[in-house]
Amino acid sequence: MIGLSFILAGMLAAAMPFLLAALGELVAERSGVLNLGIEGMMALGAVTGFVITFHGGGHAAGFLGAGLAGAALSLIFAWLALSLRANQVAVGLAIGILGQGLSALFGKSYESMTVAGLPKLHLPVLSDLPVVGGVFVQDIVVWLGMAATLAIWAVLRLTKLGLIIRAVGENPAAARALGYPVIAIRYGAVMFGGLMAGLAGAYAATVYTPLWADGMIAGRGWIALALVVFATWMVGRVFFGAILFGAVSLAQLAAQAGGVNLNSQLLASLPYIVTIVVLGLISSNKRLLKMNGVASLGEPFGP
Amino acid sequence: MTSTLNRRGFLQTTAAATLGAGLLPGIARAQGEPLGVALIVPSPFGDVGWSHALAAALEPIKAEYGDRIKVTKLENIPEGPDADRIMNKAVADGNKFLIAGSFGYQNGAMQVARRNPDVSVLHASGFMVAPNFTPFAARNYQGTYLMGMAAAAVSKTGKLGSVSAFAIPELVSSINAFVLGAQAVNPDVEVSVVWVNSWFDPAKEQEAARALLSQGCDVIYSNAQDTPSVVSVCEEAGAYVFNLNSSMVKYAPTKYLGCVATDWTPFFLQSIKAHLDGSFEGHTAYLGLAEGVIKPMDWNADIPADVMTRITETQAQLADGSFHVFTGPIARQDGREAVAEGAALGDEDIVAMDWHVAGVTTPLPN
Repeated sequence: MIGLSFILAGMLAAAMPFLLAALGELVAERSGVLNLGIEGMMALGAVTGFVITFHGGGHAAGFLGAGLAGAALSLIFAWLALSLRANQVAVGLAIGILGQGLSALFGKSYESMTVAGLPKLHLPVLSDLPVVGGVFVQDIVVWLGMAATLAIWAVLRLTKLGLIIRAVGENPAAARALGYPVIAIRYGAVMFGGLMAGLAGAYAATVYTPLWADGMIAGRGWIALALVVFATWMVGRVFFGAILFGAVSLAQLAAQAGGVNLNSQLLASLPYIVTIVVLGLISSNKRLLKMNGVASLGEPFGP
Repeated sequence: MTSTLNRRGFLQTTAAATLGAGLLPGIARAQGEPLGVALIVPSPFGDVGWSHALAAALEPIKAEYGDRIKVTKLENIPEGPDADRIMNKAVADGNKFLIAGSFGYQNGAMQVARRNPDVSVLHASGFMVAPNFTPFAARNYQGTYLMGMAAAAVSKTGKLGSVSAFAIPELVSSINAFVLGAQAVNPDVEVSVVWVNSWFDPAKEQEAARALLSQGCDVIYSNAQDTPSVVSVCEEAGAYVFNLNSSMVKYAPTKYLGCVATDWTPFFLQSIKAHLDGSFEGHTAYLGLAEGVIKPMDWNADIPADVMTRITETQAQLADGSFHVFTGPIARQDGREAVAEGAALGDEDIVAMDWHVAGVTTPLPN
């Protein structure tokens, strides 16, 4: 089946913008901060990465600049939400809109320009397998994204730092009583989230669709946010959900191209429906949900 | 009801306008303040695409009228209250000629026209008409028919594809014409259509193009997209590609099949001139090859010479009206008769087209 190998080959790259942004947001939310500005941070990262790559800086510098841009924007968010203790929802929305506006401004003279993407790496043996071989023909960022997933899981789950982040999100008062600098830790988590959103944007604008167009993030930041919630703040489920979403998005296009007799609007909504249903089902265990939910999410904390 | 421009009158006025810059009737009026022309579009102007084509069309007019017109370009204006406010402000600022570059501006632009009888409005792709309000659209289907002929000639697999935004009549009719043109060269071609159900999502457009390529399509029609997303991915994959509005040949130097370009200059020029001499009259302007608005260009050198000759001949016939794209017999996708032998579809049926011709493999969304 042609469609299947197409989906398998493309799903990891399709998932990458969602995965990177969602992982960053997951860390921020685990520390108790709800950052709704992901979409804008992705857009700012996308334009920064694109401009650097366009001017011959190379992809590595592009990603670095994009990450820094996302982190810088999230720093403004953190200052307003954590230091000034403004409402996180309102500030997040405002910062998100700011990021989109800035991206349009900086990208003005780069509208519709293109750069070269990254080469796809062939792995020995694995890439030559029939049907599933395409899974192993990916650009380097995909593999780095996988490694980052594993690393974030390990840090949150196995290290003291992860425990502290989770403790801060669970009960900031208790964490402070133990002597942890709650606000500083939240700053760090939020900026990590901004950094990852910036990287996700750079992936979208310099690798996945190597061009700049205002508005090209097209709601992917919001999908990443939703993924975190539906995955009940668990790294493994975010990973699975992002790939599922990517795969079903490609599947609906492949189905249309193959002439499947189904309404295209219905097909277009499939990625959302399938991801919500599947993640909803695996997350339906109430006890687990209560255990994983972040108790202080979105609540300002201060003296 | 639809009526086209009177072609002879149009040519005369255009010729007069082009030849005699110094003899323009508008001159007497223009002695005082310059005519304010405001263009408002939903997407960034960019280097290519729909909004770019609209903005670019004003450049020759600016050059010709010099300081007798003053052009204000407003880009990236979302449809809705924002657009209404901005159009009202443009008129309040003294602009007397408004070009509303998106279907969604219709109600707001019509209000502006009703409140300001001295303002003339051109509105893209709408259906409402008023004495000072002219909806305009391009007969893209004439160009896509020619592209279909070229596509069938260069395709090795006999499978063609289209990445399209939304299943609206304008896009459906251009796909159908593409299929009919392809069938004129190779009756056995198959055409797959992927609807991305979004006006603007470059990543999804690229995914859709890749999906079509993976099914064996080797010519892709990038339908009503403002970014080079589809064009550049086709060049990379070695598949031929074409698009509408403005040329994207620089994004696909070897595989660019051609462009169904739109040049709004003759139409804008004629309308602005009519406004200046007080003869502006609202009507439905459905503009094609005859008016010089549809301009196929940048044909790929890989198109065989005999087919290219046929394309040129067909283009001439479409322009002079001796051939009509939707001439029967045409069968629908499900085999029913769409157009009877010898009959031709009227404009009102083309602008409301909601069915695919036989040869399209993808079902049409409702």
